[in-house]
Amino acid sequence: MRYIGERSTDPGLLVMTSLAEGPKHGYAITADVEEFAGVHLGPGTLYGALARLESRGLIEALPADDRRRPYRLTADGSTALEQELAQLQTVTRQGLDRLRVAEATR
Amino acid sequence: MIRWLARQTLRLYPLAYQRRYGDEMRALLEDQPPRIGTVFDLGRGALRAHLRPADAPAGMVDAGERVRASASGVLLCWVFFAAAGFGYYKSTEDQPFSTAGHAHPLLRDAHLAIQAVALIASAAVVIGALPLIVAALAQARREPALRRTVALAFLPVIVFGAVTAAVIAIAHAQAPNGSGAGGGIAIAWGIAGLACGTTCVFACRGALFATPVAPAWLRGALVAGTIVTVSMLAIAVAAGFYAIALTADVSRLAAEPNGPFQVMSVTASLIVQIVVMLGAGALASIATSRAWRAERQLA
Repeated sequence: MRYIGERSTDPGLLVMTSLAEGPKHGYAITADVEEFAGVHLGPGTLYGALARLESRGLIEALPADDRRRPYRLTADGSTALEQELAQLQTVTRQGLDRLRVAEATR
Repeated sequence: MIRWLARQTLRLYPLAYQRRYGDEMRALLEDQPPRIGTVFDLGRGALRAHLRPADAPAGMVDAGERVRASASGVLLCWVFFAAAGFGYYKSTEDQPFSTAGHAHPLLRDAHLAIQAVALIASAAVVIGALPLIVAALAQARREPALRRTVALAFLPVIVFGAVTAAVIAIAHAQAPNGSGAGGGIAIAWGIAGLACGTTCVFACRGALFATPVAPAWLRGALVAGTIVTVSMLAIAVAAGFYAIALTADVSRLAAEPNGPFQVMSVTASLIVQIVVMLGAGALASIATSRAWRAERQLA
Protein backbone atom coordinates (compact mmCIF):
# COMPACT_ATOMS: atom_id res chain seq x y z
CA MET A 1 0.00 0.00 0.00
CA ARG A 2 1.51 3.32 -1.06
CA TYR A 3 1.34 6.47 1.02
CA ILE A 4 -1.01 9.12 -0.25
CA GLY A 5 2.01 11.45 -0.55
CA GLU A 6 3.53 9.11 -3.11
CA ARG A 7 0.25 8.71 -4.95
CA SER A 8 -0.42 12.40 -5.18
CA THR A 9 3.05 13.03 -6.66
CA ASP A 10 2.96 10.01 -8.96
CA PRO A 11 4.33 11.29 -12.31
CA GLY A 12 1.57 9.54 -14.27
CA LEU A 13 -1.15 11.19 -12.18
CA LEU A 14 0.54 14.60 -12.43
CA VAL A 15 0.91 14.30 -16.21
CA MET A 16 -2.73 13.26 -16.63
CA THR A 17 -3.88 16.09 -14.38
CA SER A 18 -1.88 18.52 -16.51
CA LEU A 19 -3.37 17.13 -19.72
CA ALA A 20 -6.91 17.39 -18.29
CA GLU A 21 -6.68 21.05 -19.26
CA GLY A 22 -5.92 20.28 -22.90
CA PRO A 23 -3.11 18.95 -25.14
CA LYS A 24 0.44 19.87 -24.13
CA HIS A 25 3.97 18.95 -25.18
CA GLY A 26 6.79 17.90 -22.84
CA TYR A 27 8.03 21.31 -21.75
CA ALA A 28 4.51 22.67 -21.21
CA ILE A 29 3.64 19.63 -19.05
CA THR A 30 6.80 20.07 -16.96
CA ALA A 31 6.16 23.79 -16.44
CA ASP A 32 2.48 23.21 -15.60
CA VAL A 33 3.21 20.40 -13.09
CA GLU A 34 5.86 22.53 -11.43
CA GLU A 35 3.33 25.36 -11.10
CA PHE A 36 0.32 23.45 -9.74
CA ALA A 37 2.08 20.72 -7.72
CA GLY A 38 5.51 22.18 -6.99
CA VAL A 39 7.08 19.00 -8.41
CA HIS A 40 9.85 19.15 -11.00
CA LEU A 41 9.61 16.28 -13.46
CA GLY A 42 12.97 15.50 -15.08
CA PRO A 43 12.94 14.44 -18.73
CA GLY A 44 13.58 10.79 -17.82
CA THR A 45 10.68 10.72 -15.35
CA LEU A 46 8.38 12.65 -17.70
CA TYR A 47 8.94 10.46 -20.75
CA GLY A 48 8.84 7.30 -18.64
CA ALA A 49 5.38 8.36 -17.50
CA LEU A 50 4.30 9.38 -21.02
CA ALA A 51 5.44 6.00 -22.42
CA ARG A 52 3.54 4.05 -19.74
CA LEU A 53 0.37 6.14 -20.11
CA GLU A 54 0.52 5.88 -23.90
CA SER A 55 1.01 2.10 -23.69
CA ARG A 56 -2.08 1.82 -21.48
CA GLY A 57 -4.13 3.94 -23.91
CA LEU A 58 -4.68 6.67 -21.31
CA ILE A 59 -3.07 9.39 -23.42
CA GLU A 60 -2.35 9.73 -27.12
CA ALA A 61 0.20 11.62 -29.16
CA LEU A 62 -0.92 14.28 -31.63
CA PRO A 63 1.00 15.17 -34.81
CA ALA A 64 4.36 16.74 -33.92
CA ASP A 65 4.81 20.46 -34.11
CA ASP A 66 8.47 20.69 -35.17
CA ARG A 67 10.13 18.27 -32.70
CA ARG A 68 7.65 18.99 -29.92
CA ARG A 69 4.83 16.49 -29.92
CA PRO A 70 1.70 17.33 -27.95
CA TYR A 71 -0.20 14.70 -25.99
CA ARG A 72 -3.83 14.61 -24.93
CA LEU A 73 -5.97 12.50 -22.63
CA THR A 74 -8.03 9.77 -24.27
CA ALA A 75 -11.60 8.99 -23.16
CA ASP A 76 -10.21 6.08 -21.09
CA GLY A 77 -7.62 8.42 -19.64
CA SER A 78 -10.27 10.94 -18.57
CA THR A 79 -12.28 8.17 -16.87
CA ALA A 80 -9.20 6.74 -15.15
CA LEU A 81 -8.11 10.20 -13.96
CA GLU A 82 -11.56 10.98 -12.64
CA GLN A 83 -11.70 7.70 -10.69
CA GLU A 84 -8.21 8.18 -9.29
CA LEU A 85 -8.89 11.77 -8.21
CA ALA A 86 -12.26 10.80 -6.70
CA GLN A 87 -10.51 8.11 -4.65
CA LEU A 88 -7.85 10.58 -3.55
CA GLN A 89 -10.59 13.07 -2.67
CA THR A 90 -12.39 10.48 -0.53
CA VAL A 91 -9.21 9.66 1.33
CA THR A 92 -8.34 13.35 1.72
CA ARG A 93 -11.82 14.19 3.05
CA GLN A 94 -11.77 11.27 5.47
CA GLY A 95 -8.32 12.19 6.70
CA LEU A 96 -9.20 15.85 7.27
CA ASP A 97 -12.48 14.93 9.02
CA ARG A 98 -10.70 12.55 11.37
CA LEU A 99 -7.98 15.11 12.14
CA ARG A 100 -10.68 17.67 13.00
CA VAL A 101 -12.44 15.20 15.31
CA ALA A 102 -9.16 14.29 16.97
CA GLU A 103 -8.32 17.97 17.51
CA ALA A 104 -11.81 18.67 18.96
CA THR A 105 -11.55 15.83 21.48
CA ARG A 106 -8.04 16.78 22.59
CA MET B 1 29.34 20.02 -20.47
CA ILE B 2 26.18 18.97 -18.59
CA ARG B 3 24.07 19.49 -21.73
CA TRP B 4 26.47 17.25 -23.66
CA LEU B 5 26.40 14.65 -20.87
CA ALA B 6 22.58 14.72 -20.81
CA ARG B 7 22.41 14.24 -24.59
CA GLN B 8 24.84 11.32 -24.36
CA THR B 9 22.77 9.77 -21.57
CA LEU B 10 19.82 9.71 -23.98
CA ARG B 11 21.82 7.17 -25.98
CA LEU B 12 21.56 4.74 -23.07
CA TYR B 13 17.82 4.41 -23.69
CA PRO B 14 16.57 1.38 -25.63
CA LEU B 15 16.60 2.02 -29.37
CA ALA B 16 12.80 1.99 -29.56
CA TYR B 17 12.59 4.76 -26.95
CA GLN B 18 15.26 6.78 -28.72
CA ARG B 19 13.33 6.61 -31.98
CA ARG B 20 9.95 7.32 -30.44
CA TYR B 21 10.85 9.97 -27.86
CA GLY B 22 14.47 10.96 -28.67
CA ASP B 23 13.67 14.12 -30.67
CA GLU B 24 11.12 15.27 -28.10
CA MET B 25 13.53 14.68 -25.22
CA ARG B 26 16.31 16.56 -27.02
CA ALA B 27 13.87 19.43 -27.64
CA LEU B 28 12.98 19.41 -23.93
CA LEU B 29 16.68 19.57 -23.00
CA GLU B 30 16.97 22.66 -25.23
CA ASP B 31 13.94 24.31 -23.64
CA GLN B 32 15.01 23.47 -20.11
CA PRO B 33 18.76 23.78 -19.40
CA PRO B 34 19.81 20.46 -17.83
CA ARG B 35 21.38 20.24 -14.39
CA ILE B 36 23.42 17.39 -13.01
CA GLY B 37 20.18 16.01 -11.51
CA THR B 38 18.76 15.85 -15.04
CA VAL B 39 21.58 13.52 -16.06
CA PHE B 40 20.81 11.20 -13.13
CA ASP B 41 17.09 11.38 -13.93
CA LEU B 42 17.83 10.38 -17.52
CA GLY B 43 20.13 7.57 -16.40
CA ARG B 44 17.45 6.23 -14.05
CA GLY B 45 14.84 6.57 -16.80
CA ALA B 46 17.06 4.66 -19.24
CA LEU B 47 17.62 1.86 -16.73
CA ARG B 48 13.90 1.63 -16.02
CA ALA B 49 13.13 1.61 -19.76
CA HIS B 50 15.46 -1.37 -20.16
CA LEU B 51 14.12 -3.24 -17.13
CA ARG B 52 10.42 -2.50 -17.65
CA PRO B 53 9.94 -1.43 -21.26
CA ALA B 54 6.59 0.13 -22.16
CA ASP B 55 4.64 -1.23 -25.13
CA ALA B 56 4.15 2.10 -26.91
CA PRO B 57 7.62 2.45 -28.46
CA ALA B 58 8.04 -1.28 -29.19
CA GLY B 59 6.94 -1.05 -32.83
CA MET B 60 9.70 1.44 -33.67
CA VAL B 61 12.37 -1.23 -34.28
CA ASP B 62 12.33 -4.49 -36.23
CA ALA B 63 13.64 -7.87 -35.05
CA GLY B 64 17.02 -7.51 -36.81
CA GLU B 65 17.64 -4.17 -35.13
CA ARG B 66 16.63 -5.58 -31.75
CA VAL B 67 19.19 -8.39 -32.13
CA ARG B 68 21.91 -5.85 -33.02
CA ALA B 69 20.94 -3.52 -30.16
CA SER B 70 20.92 -6.38 -27.63
CA ALA B 71 24.29 -7.72 -28.84
CA SER B 72 25.76 -4.22 -28.41
CA GLY B 73 24.15 -4.05 -24.97
CA VAL B 74 25.88 -7.26 -23.88
CA LEU B 75 29.19 -5.84 -25.12
CA LEU B 76 28.67 -2.64 -23.10
CA CYS B 77 27.91 -4.73 -20.00
CA TRP B 78 31.13 -6.63 -20.67
CA VAL B 79 33.14 -3.38 -20.69
CA PHE B 80 31.86 -2.42 -17.23
CA PHE B 81 32.21 -6.00 -16.01
CA ALA B 82 35.81 -6.08 -17.27
CA ALA B 83 36.56 -2.89 -15.31
CA ALA B 84 35.27 -4.52 -12.11
CA GLY B 85 37.09 -7.74 -13.02
CA PHE B 86 40.33 -5.85 -13.42
CA GLY B 87 39.74 -4.30 -10.01
CA TYR B 88 39.35 -7.82 -8.59
CA TYR B 89 42.58 -8.88 -10.28
CA LYS B 90 44.46 -5.89 -8.85
CA SER B 91 42.95 -6.45 -5.39
CA THR B 92 44.06 -10.08 -5.22
CA GLU B 93 47.30 -10.17 -7.25
CA ASP B 94 49.80 -9.76 -4.42
CA GLN B 95 51.85 -12.48 -2.78
CA PRO B 96 49.83 -12.71 0.49
CA PHE B 97 46.74 -13.66 -1.54
CA SER B 98 48.64 -16.42 -3.38
CA THR B 99 49.90 -17.70 -0.03
CA ALA B 100 46.35 -17.65 1.38
CA GLY B 101 45.18 -19.52 -1.72
CA HIS B 102 47.70 -22.32 -1.06
CA ALA B 103 46.30 -22.75 2.44
CA HIS B 104 42.58 -22.46 1.62
CA PRO B 105 41.19 -24.67 -1.18
CA LEU B 106 38.04 -22.56 -1.63
CA LEU B 107 40.09 -19.40 -2.19
CA ARG B 108 42.35 -21.20 -4.64
CA ASP B 109 39.51 -22.88 -6.54
CA ALA B 110 37.38 -19.73 -6.74
CA HIS B 111 40.37 -17.74 -8.00
CA LEU B 112 41.24 -20.38 -10.61
CA ALA B 113 37.60 -20.65 -11.73
CA ILE B 114 37.42 -16.87 -12.19
CA GLN B 115 40.57 -16.86 -14.31
CA ALA B 116 39.42 -19.82 -16.44
CA VAL B 117 35.91 -18.43 -17.04
CA ALA B 118 37.33 -14.96 -17.79
CA LEU B 119 39.51 -16.52 -20.49
CA ILE B 120 36.50 -18.34 -21.98
CA ALA B 121 34.42 -15.15 -21.96
CA SER B 122 37.21 -13.10 -23.54
CA ALA B 123 37.61 -15.73 -26.26
CA ALA B 124 33.82 -15.70 -26.83
CA VAL B 125 33.86 -11.89 -27.22
CA VAL B 126 36.60 -12.11 -29.87
CA ILE B 127 35.10 -15.10 -31.72
CA GLY B 128 31.58 -13.64 -31.69
CA ALA B 129 32.69 -10.18 -32.79
CA LEU B 130 35.25 -11.18 -35.41
CA PRO B 131 32.82 -12.04 -38.28
CA LEU B 132 30.88 -8.85 -37.57
CA ILE B 133 34.09 -6.80 -37.62
CA VAL B 134 35.08 -8.40 -40.94
CA ALA B 135 31.61 -7.68 -42.37
CA ALA B 136 31.73 -4.05 -41.15
CA LEU B 137 35.21 -3.54 -42.65
CA ALA B 138 34.07 -5.01 -45.98
CA GLN B 139 30.99 -2.78 -45.93
CA ALA B 140 33.14 0.27 -45.07
CA ARG B 141 35.28 -0.41 -48.15
CA ARG B 142 32.16 -0.25 -50.31
CA GLU B 143 30.50 2.60 -48.40
CA PRO B 144 32.72 5.61 -47.60
CA ALA B 145 30.09 7.06 -45.22
CA LEU B 146 30.61 4.08 -42.90
CA ARG B 147 34.40 4.51 -42.71
CA ARG B 148 34.23 7.22 -40.05
CA THR B 149 32.08 5.02 -37.78
CA VAL B 150 34.37 2.01 -38.23
CA ALA B 151 37.44 4.17 -37.59
CA LEU B 152 35.75 5.54 -34.46
CA ALA B 153 35.39 1.97 -33.18
CA PHE B 154 39.14 1.34 -33.48
CA LEU B 155 40.31 4.76 -32.28
CA PRO B 156 39.37 4.28 -28.58
CA VAL B 157 41.28 0.98 -28.53
CA ILE B 158 44.40 2.74 -29.82
CA VAL B 159 43.91 5.66 -27.42
CA PHE B 160 43.47 3.33 -24.46
CA GLY B 161 46.57 1.37 -25.51
CA ALA B 162 48.54 4.63 -25.54
CA VAL B 163 47.11 5.71 -22.16
CA THR B 164 47.98 2.32 -20.67
CA ALA B 165 51.55 2.54 -21.99
CA ALA B 166 51.86 6.03 -20.47
CA VAL B 167 50.50 4.82 -17.12
CA ILE B 168 52.96 1.93 -17.05
CA ALA B 169 55.82 4.32 -17.85
CA ILE B 170 54.72 6.70 -15.07
CA ALA B 171 54.31 3.81 -12.60
CA HIS B 172 57.85 2.67 -13.31
CA ALA B 173 59.16 6.18 -12.84
CA GLN B 174 57.27 6.84 -9.59
CA ALA B 175 57.23 5.30 -6.17
CA PRO B 176 55.40 1.96 -6.00
CA ASN B 177 51.65 1.64 -5.34
CA GLY B 178 50.07 3.43 -2.43
CA SER B 179 51.17 7.00 -2.99
CA GLY B 180 48.44 9.62 -3.63
CA ALA B 181 49.73 10.29 -7.12
CA GLY B 182 49.63 6.56 -7.94
CA GLY B 183 46.02 6.31 -6.77
CA GLY B 184 45.03 9.33 -8.83
CA ILE B 185 46.64 7.89 -11.93
CA ALA B 186 44.90 4.54 -11.36
CA ILE B 187 41.50 6.26 -11.12
CA ALA B 188 42.19 8.36 -14.24
CA TRP B 189 43.27 5.23 -16.07
CA GLY B 190 40.08 3.41 -15.03
CA ILE B 191 37.88 6.30 -16.16
CA ALA B 192 39.79 6.47 -19.45
CA GLY B 193 39.22 2.73 -19.90
CA LEU B 194 35.48 3.02 -19.31
CA ALA B 195 35.22 6.06 -21.60
CA CYS B 196 37.21 4.37 -24.39
CA GLY B 197 35.28 1.10 -23.99
CA THR B 198 31.91 2.86 -24.05
CA THR B 199 32.88 4.95 -27.11
CA CYS B 200 34.11 1.81 -28.86
CA VAL B 201 30.87 -0.09 -28.13
CA PHE B 202 28.67 2.77 -29.38
CA ALA B 203 30.75 3.06 -32.57
CA CYS B 204 30.55 -0.73 -33.05
CA ARG B 205 26.80 -0.51 -32.59
CA GLY B 206 26.58 2.23 -35.24
CA ALA B 207 28.66 0.14 -37.65
CA LEU B 208 26.63 -2.99 -36.92
CA PHE B 209 23.37 -1.21 -37.69
CA ALA B 210 24.77 -0.01 -41.02
CA THR B 211 26.14 -3.42 -42.03
CA PRO B 212 24.11 -6.21 -43.60
CA VAL B 213 25.05 -9.39 -41.72
CA ALA B 214 24.17 -13.00 -42.55
CA PRO B 215 21.67 -14.41 -39.99
CA ALA B 216 24.13 -17.21 -39.15
CA TRP B 217 26.75 -14.67 -38.08
CA LEU B 218 24.24 -12.79 -35.99
CA ARG B 219 23.22 -16.08 -34.38
CA GLY B 220 26.92 -16.83 -33.75
CA ALA B 221 27.28 -13.45 -32.06
CA LEU B 222 24.25 -14.26 -29.92
CA VAL B 223 25.71 -17.61 -28.88
CA ALA B 224 28.94 -15.80 -27.97
CA GLY B 225 26.91 -13.17 -26.10
CA THR B 226 25.14 -15.91 -24.17
CA ILE B 227 28.47 -17.49 -23.20
CA VAL B 228 29.75 -14.07 -22.10
CA THR B 229 26.59 -13.45 -20.06
CA VAL B 230 26.72 -16.82 -18.31
CA SER B 231 30.44 -16.28 -17.68
CA MET B 232 29.78 -12.88 -16.11
CA LEU B 233 27.29 -14.37 -13.68
CA ALA B 234 29.55 -17.34 -12.94
CA ILE B 235 32.52 -15.07 -12.25
CA ALA B 236 30.40 -12.84 -9.99
CA VAL B 237 29.29 -15.89 -8.00
CA ALA B 238 32.86 -17.23 -7.78
CA ALA B 239 34.09 -13.78 -6.68
CA GLY B 240 31.37 -13.85 -4.02
CA PHE B 241 32.65 -17.19 -2.70
CA TYR B 242 36.18 -15.80 -2.76
CA ALA B 243 35.16 -12.72 -0.78
CA ILE B 244 33.29 -14.81 1.81
CA ALA B 245 36.15 -17.28 2.21
CA LEU B 246 38.72 -14.48 2.47
CA THR B 247 36.71 -12.53 5.04
CA ALA B 248 35.94 -15.62 7.12
CA ASP B 249 39.27 -17.43 7.01
CA VAL B 250 41.89 -14.75 6.37
CA SER B 251 40.23 -11.82 8.09
CA ARG B 252 43.48 -9.94 8.76
CA LEU B 253 44.28 -9.86 5.04
CA ALA B 254 40.65 -9.00 4.17
CA ALA B 255 40.72 -5.99 6.49
CA GLU B 256 43.88 -4.47 4.98
CA PRO B 257 43.52 -1.20 3.04
CA ASN B 258 43.21 -1.64 -0.70
CA GLY B 259 42.78 0.22 -3.99
CA PRO B 260 43.58 3.78 -5.04
CA PHE B 261 44.29 6.03 -2.03
CA GLN B 262 43.88 2.92 0.21
CA VAL B 263 40.48 4.19 1.35
CA MET B 264 38.63 0.86 1.37
CA SER B 265 39.51 -2.52 2.84
CA VAL B 266 40.02 -5.53 0.60
CA THR B 267 36.57 -6.86 1.57
CA ALA B 268 34.86 -3.53 0.78
CA SER B 269 36.66 -3.36 -2.58
CA LEU B 270 35.58 -6.91 -3.41
CA ILE B 271 31.96 -6.13 -2.46
CA VAL B 272 31.92 -3.09 -4.78
CA GLN B 273 33.44 -5.16 -7.58
CA ILE B 274 30.93 -7.99 -7.09
CA VAL B 275 27.99 -5.57 -7.09
CA VAL B 276 29.18 -4.09 -10.42
CA MET B 277 29.75 -7.61 -11.78
CA LEU B 278 26.27 -8.76 -10.75
CA GLY B 279 24.67 -5.59 -12.13
CA ALA B 280 26.44 -5.97 -15.47
CA GLY B 281 25.61 -9.69 -15.55
CA ALA B 282 21.93 -9.07 -14.77
CA LEU B 283 21.59 -6.38 -17.47
CA ALA B 284 23.43 -8.63 -19.95
CA SER B 285 21.01 -11.48 -19.09
CA ILE B 286 18.04 -9.25 -19.93
CA ALA B 287 19.68 -8.13 -23.19
CA THR B 288 20.53 -11.72 -24.13
CA SER B 289 17.05 -13.11 -23.48
CA ARG B 290 15.50 -10.26 -25.51
CA ALA B 291 17.99 -10.85 -28.31
CA TRP B 292 17.02 -14.54 -28.52
CA ARG B 293 13.32 -13.61 -28.61
CA ALA B 294 14.02 -11.19 -31.47
CA GLU B 295 16.18 -13.79 -33.23
CA ARG B 296 13.29 -16.27 -33.18
CA GLN B 297 11.15 -13.63 -34.91
CA LEU B 298 13.91 -13.18 -37.50
CA ALA B 299 14.00 -16.90 -38.17
